[in-house]
Amino acid sequence: MGGDIALYMLGLLIVFILLGVHIGVALAICSALGVWLMVGFLDTALSILGNTAYEAVRKDVFAVIPLFVLMGDFIGRSGAAGDLFRICDRTLRRLPGRLAIATIAGNTVFAAVTGVSIASAAAFSRIAYPEMKKVGYKQTFALGAVAGSACLGMLIPPSVLLIVWAVLTEMSIGALFIAGLLPGIMLALLFTTYVIIAAARNPEIAPPFAEALVPLTKAEARSELIGGLGILGLVLLVIGGIWTGAFTPTEAAGFGAIGALIIGVIKGMRWRDIVEAIFQAGRTTAPIMFLLITAQMYSKLLAFGGAVNYIQGLFLGLGADPWVIIAMMIVVWIILGMLIDSVSIILLTVPIFAPIAMALGFDPLAFAIFGILVIEAGLLTPPFGLLVYTVKGAVPDPSVTLGQIFAGSTPYFLLILLAALIVLSMPWLSNWLPALMM
Amino acid sequence: MGAAVKLARSIHLVSAFWTLGLAIVIMIDVIGRSLFSMPLPGTKEILQNSVVSITFLQLPLAIYSGSQLRTSIFADAMPPFGKKLLRTFAGILGVGLFVGLVLSTWQPFLDAYRIGEYEGEGALRVPTWPVRGAVLVTSVFGTFAYLTMIVLDWQDKLNPDLSAPGSFLDQGAD
Repeated sequence: MGGDIALYMLGLLIVFILLGVHIGVALAICSALGVWLMVGFLDTALSILGNTAYEAVRKDVFAVIPLFVLMGDFIGRSGAAGDLFRICDRTLRRLPGRLAIATIAGNTVFAAVTGVSIASAAAFSRIAYPEMKKVGYKQTFALGAVAGSACLGMLIPPSVLLIVWAVLTEMSIGALFIAGLLPGIMLALLFTTYVIIAAARNPEIAPPFAEALVPLTKAEARSELIGGLGILGLVLLVIGGIWTGAFTPTEAAGFGAIGALIIGVIKGMRWRDIVEAIFQAGRTTAPIMFLLITAQMYSKLLAFGGAVNYIQGLFLGLGADPWVIIAMMIVVWIILGMLIDSVSIILLTVPIFAPIAMALGFDPLAFAIFGILVIEAGLLTPPFGLLVYTVKGAVPDPSVTLGQIFAGSTPYFLLILLAALIVLSMPWLSNWLPALMM
Repeated sequence: MGAAVKLARSIHLVSAFWTLGLAIVIMIDVIGRSLFSMPLPGTKEILQNSVVSITFLQLPLAIYSGSQLRTSIFADAMPPFGKKLLRTFAGILGVGLFVGLVLSTWQPFLDAYRIGEYEGEGALRVPTWPVRGAVLVTSVFGTFAYLTMIVLDWQDKLNPDLSAPGSFLDQGAD
């Protein structure tokens, strides 16, 4: 009975979301309505709203989300991403398609200091794309590199998606962060391999040229030194701190935010930029935190009705091969990726999918990284790939079309799915480093 | 009308700076603990109560600026009038939720204030009514914000909706 009501509410939830109801509002309303129908008292349903609103994020670990977003906003506005891109350009001088590779390499490192892919996509649209265009890279190829490699932002810690996943499944945030490292590096290498092969077979999409983008003047060297060392220091502080156990993720986030502010000030951020960064970080955080609260109302609904067991029974009752069930999850994630943002996707599906995957015998860390990869791939799919829209919005070139960005990111989309399957079938990729944690 | 948006912006800004304040609190705590074996008492309580308050204080602006996450797949296929109807429907549900929040947080807030409910151990007692109050007051504000958005929409005073879902978009574009 309870399972049925929860399923109807799930259906109503999907209808609401498709009609454009704010996802957090839809989650909360459907949960309250479902509980009301199940227990028959409006008061009980309302008190779940009130209690969850007050209790849901009232733990010190939830401070990691605003703090990491703040760190990303400081560093994103400091100009350090540009330094990083030019350093990578200088180091990779000999490789075919080196500006695309510098974009990927820059994104890999930048990912270690930001928590959302959108930040990387916006930064590199402004920094890397104009340079690639200037030297004659094919537009789709250049745009694909920017949009595709921005996905690394969510895989390499710190990452808001990893935090949300850890919170929902009651895993350790620190362990999940460290689990994302190797798969992230593997994905970056896959991207790089693709670029080298594509540029070597088709030199006209990425014309080779010898000299560095910016001559190494004294001022340039100083800027690159500050930006490069600053980011390196921040990566060591945050990831190293979590890995060695010196910091909890919350403490790492606090230090990261202050460290990023210091780098920003050294790089010349003024009071107005700082206020702007703080303001915008709040604007990114608020909707995510609101979703986290309402998602806990939704998981109460699922728990109340025994819906998780019910749905799990439906899936497992099929008697299908575990990989068939995984394939169904991939399809659901990709379809949702066309409609809604990745945090919402995780909140809606993970409370149901994660227990099923565990029952099927998949490794929790590997399944988490697998899920994040597939969901990130969804950000590159038409019609609503969020990263693609971000690139379109940030690229300083009005001639760019959404179609070009979608076309350019298709190889990256396929590589991300490939990486996801590799991670799931080789659990040591995501388990090895966390096991070494001190 | 402008006054309400201005107020929403101000409390958003306060809570955004508060986030930076949390970073400083964490730093003092960690440095104090590791260098002088003197952790900052109450850091955990400060953090957990701040996260709730910060989140709710930022909601009114999120509503006014249309940055609540949603999808527009269905709306995009509709004529302007249909879009407006859908937005109104979403707004009504928003009002419903926040009225529900006001109704359900009102009594616990009064109780917490009256009996002096607190949490934390030993010397450090944090009263719970300020955070409960913050949730209550911002829920009232949220109700008002969703209501005014519906009214403004029918007066054609809103910016046309962004075509893509998600609020992050405007950040990428600025």
